[in-house]
Amino acid sequence: MSEPLIRATGLTKRFGPFTALNGIDLEVRKGEVLALLGDNGAGKSTLIKILSGVHQPTEGKMYVEGKEVSFQSPRDASAVGIGTVYQDLAINPLMSVTRNFFMGREIYKGIRPFGILDMATMDKIAHDEMVKIGIDVSDPRQAVGTMSGGQRQTLAIARAIYFGAKVLILDEPTSALGQKQQMGVLKTIMSVKARGDIAIIFITHNEIHSQLVADRFTFLALGEVIGGGAKEDLAHDEIRRLMAGGADIGDLEKELAEVQAGGL
Amino acid sequence: MSTTSTNTDDRKEADRLQKGGHLSSLKRRPEVGSFLVMMFVILAIGFASNGNAFNALGLKNNFSIISQFGIIATGACLLMIAGEFDLSIGSMIGFAGMSMAMMLKWGLPFGLGAATPLTAFLFTLAMTLALGWLIGTIVVRSKLSSFIVTLAFLFFLRGVTEVSFRLINQSTQISGLPDYKETSWFASMFGGESFAWFYDAWFALGSNINRAGNQWVSGFDARVVWWIAVSVIAYIVLSRTQAGNWIFATGDNRESARANGVPVDKVRISLFMLTALCATIFAACQVFETNTADAAKGNLKELEAIAIAVVGGTLMTGGFGSVIGVIFGAITFGLVANAVFFIPSIDGSYYRVFVGVVLLTAVFLNESVRKRITGGL
Repeated sequence: MSEPLIRATGLTKRFGPFTALNGIDLEVRKGEVLALLGDNGAGKSTLIKILSGVHQPTEGKMYVEGKEVSFQSPRDASAVGIGTVYQDLAINPLMSVTRNFFMGREIYKGIRPFGILDMATMDKIAHDEMVKIGIDVSDPRQAVGTMSGGQRQTLAIARAIYFGAKVLILDEPTSALGQKQQMGVLKTIMSVKARGDIAIIFITHNEIHSQLVADRFTFLALGEVIGGGAKEDLAHDEIRRLMAGGADIGDLEKELAEVQAGGL
Repeated sequence: MSTTSTNTDDRKEADRLQKGGHLSSLKRRPEVGSFLVMMFVILAIGFASNGNAFNALGLKNNFSIISQFGIIATGACLLMIAGEFDLSIGSMIGFAGMSMAMMLKWGLPFGLGAATPLTAFLFTLAMTLALGWLIGTIVVRSKLSSFIVTLAFLFFLRGVTEVSFRLINQSTQISGLPDYKETSWFASMFGGESFAWFYDAWFALGSNINRAGNQWVSGFDARVVWWIAVSVIAYIVLSRTQAGNWIFATGDNRESARANGVPVDKVRISLFMLTALCATIFAACQVFETNTADAAKGNLKELEAIAIAVVGGTLMTGGFGSVIGVIFGAITFGLVANAVFFIPSIDGSYYRVFVGVVLLTAVFLNESVRKRITGGL
């Protein structure tokens, strides 16, 4: 097995007396999708924020391509190739696709910050990068506000990859989207995976989505890893049980049927 | 439900964006609303004044006020695109005019001797830029609304202007300064005339003649050149440079701009300095043209600047706007403000009535254009 692209050992984060994460181990290889699942409050967000440099871990170590790293800011994380696509996507709806794609990293000729933008090149790159991962925006000068949620997600992913992300962290990319757009985003994830050089950490609530694209699973509950493994080794019911935080709540359908039978 | 429609397979998400020819892409320009309003005003005033509004003198007088409006509205527009307001523009004009006239009359501060137009301007510019920097820094650091911070400076600067006048000059106005534009190239850059060749050519073509048979009008005000320069530079910066992308990004969604590495605080502070610069240019043109200054100069100009920016298609909440729209807006406002001189039968207060109507009409038009461009956001 090759060296994991990103590896974390014993990540612990305490906010005062509250332990948000307690000794998380995690590793992702190139061309692999790790689904990070867990209920609300399981510590998923805290874990992403540590990996992307927003928070510093209280204990534990992180390695990127075998080298130990520590991040003081999100900038440090993106400098070593960790690209995070947050739920709000960090996209400006009134600006064009190209201007969003190159926001803060424009291609220009001349003296910063008054260099003249090379719009033709930027339009072409933005268009080509989007096509590469499966969405053909007909006009890269159209405002992002005219695009669907799935296309915006794709824009944010394409942008992260183009600017050197080796590890792509996707924070619930399919929530708040319609069915068809969810499939579009999953396709995008698969085409990024097919490149083979990028490790993806896919945070989600949705077990079906995770089963469609993920190679391995890690389940979080109450700040700890409660289970995980490769896709082949996990049965569907096991995934569902772990999703619910490991508690044996039984089949939701059965419970609902009981409530209904109870005469409501 | 066993029948599902199958003809949607080859229809892609991208197909939903309507494509069209040049005309429909022209209809999607943000300036189209302000352009229509401007054309209406030009035609209406040209007709009502029997063309007098656009004869040799009419054109000069109209462009004089259009340029005044345009200079400050361009600064206000860029600042609004970045998501901030500046209500201190009018008071800054008063302050800068006071400062320049006072230095010319009483000499430079710190006992540096008599002032020339150049040194008076530079000292004043240093002060106004510092004030712009201060306003911007307060807004950025305190995270207070720029509306409140600049409202405070509206009162503060006007008060400082009046107090300084009374303390040093014993009167809130200065008049009778030497006619610097005749002796100083620098003063004539602001207060002199421009585009003399235009009126010379007009005269040569057999018009532009006064009753005595000589050339009637010799040139536009110098501020027309400043307006063109400010507009051209602002247009290039906004639409073609990295700084322009940062201005849009800052006003649209500040946090996402910050997350992508846009220096949003620097952008905003710089733009507050830009509105101060525009106010100073405005004041310099006024002082060097008339050789007077008055503590009340620039009153309410901040609101007119904002109104023009809005008529020009700038979005009140930031992230969207156009310098070309501001040019159209300034022409509209300038013509309306001057209309009373060319249409003697109307009451001058119709200016404000008309401004109100134009403002609302333009905003409605702009909203529908913007929704077409941005997908209803």
